[in-house]
Amino acid sequence: MLALNRSTLFSGFAAVMIPAAIGMVFFYAPLEKTMGSVQKIFYFHLPLALTAFLSFFVACISGIMYLRRRQRIWDARLAASVEIGVVLTTLVLITGSLWGRPIWNTWWTWDPRLTTSLILWFIFASCLILRSAIDEEGKRATFSAVLAIVGFLDVPIVFLSARLFRSIHPTVIRADSVGLESSMLLTLLVCMAAMLIFWAGLYKFRVSLYLQEAKVNDLQIDGTS
Amino acid sequence: MSSLRQVQFLLGKDLRIELRKKESLVSMAFFGALILVMLNIASGIGKQVAAENGAGILWVAIIFSSVLGLGRVFAREKENGCVAALLISPISAGEIYAAKALVNFTLMCLSELVLVPVFYVLFGAQLSFAPLSLLPILLLVNLGFSTTGTLISAISAGTRRNEVLLPILLFPLILPLTVLAVKATTAALAAKPFAIVLEQLEPMAAFCIIFTTAGYLLFPFAIRED
Repeated sequence: MLALNRSTLFSGFAAVMIPAAIGMVFFYAPLEKTMGSVQKIFYFHLPLALTAFLSFFVACISGIMYLRRRQRIWDARLAASVEIGVVLTTLVLITGSLWGRPIWNTWWTWDPRLTTSLILWFIFASCLILRSAIDEEGKRATFSAVLAIVGFLDVPIVFLSARLFRSIHPTVIRADSVGLESSMLLTLLVCMAAMLIFWAGLYKFRVSLYLQEAKVNDLQIDGTS
Repeated sequence: MSSLRQVQFLLGKDLRIELRKKESLVSMAFFGALILVMLNIASGIGKQVAAENGAGILWVAIIFSSVLGLGRVFAREKENGCVAALLISPISAGEIYAAKALVNFTLMCLSELVLVPVFYVLFGAQLSFAPLSLLPILLLVNLGFSTTGTLISAISAGTRRNEVLLPILLFPLILPLTVLAVKATTAALAAKPFAIVLEQLEPMAAFCIIFTTAGYLLFPFAIRED
């Protein structure tokens, strides 16, 4: 019950926050000097990338925990975060392309961040394909846990191997300073908060849905035997 | 038996089977040569390829053909339920992993003995022949591919769609290794000094170390049948 309550709470909160964030993007944040209104996609591009990365991190941790504990809840968390992560990464790639086309004059470039996102998308999408190919619950959970861990390990190497490419992707948030005006920064933070809450709601819903599915399967197996 | 001896024993067993049946090696070399011929025609008959394109062509042929051999490594054991026999024998999963990775490493090295000469015959007119630069690149990719591939092939052999899943799961993971290998090979084929090749060899070695360790630790979960 607690999980259900919390997921309703998160999604209710997200239903308020996301329209508010969109409102801020269009009516509060100032127009960027050189890029104009195209730059507004940034307020969603960065939070999407952040939550996508968070999903894969959660997937890796859930994978490790599943292999240690062998509890269904960790498989549910892994499945939920991989699914959400793939959707969010798809959106990151789409919003990035839409932004890159007018500004960089190209849909795609082999920048470290773009390459890393694309390869992460491939790895975790293949994890979804793997999950759909196995029927036995324990095997599916173990195999996808192994793949999620190995996939996440790949991230730093991909980033390193793409580092030598010429980069045109901006680095907005650096260790020492934030290259944004304060009203833009505030909008960005609100968008990030909205996206994180939305993520949490989606995640909770997906985990509880997965657990219910598994319970129904258990009942079916009990009924037939 | 010491673990080294056990690994040696398993390796000997698999290589002996391969020597008698010759199924993996022949299909790997044949398929790889076929890809090279197709890419030679596709890149325009009578045209010379640049070092950059040549490096890409060589790695596409090697990686696509190596998947054939890799798929057989575990499929062969699964067919007759030999995995269960291996698991109940007094050999640890880590040793099985090492032996299987070495089998695949050997097969890749042997098939490259055919593929690299074929590559030079078809594309080599403008490219420099640099065996000393090329050899460490080939060995590192073989190592990285075999260690990652053995883990993934244990997973894919446990499903109903082994042949389809293996490349789908493996290629995204080894993409960084492939990218580095292509860059290093480009430098080697363009007769650049070894220092430039070495810049790429270091991250490749890092990849091999990370994935060998990860594979060794995760393999027991992937192979166990429950």
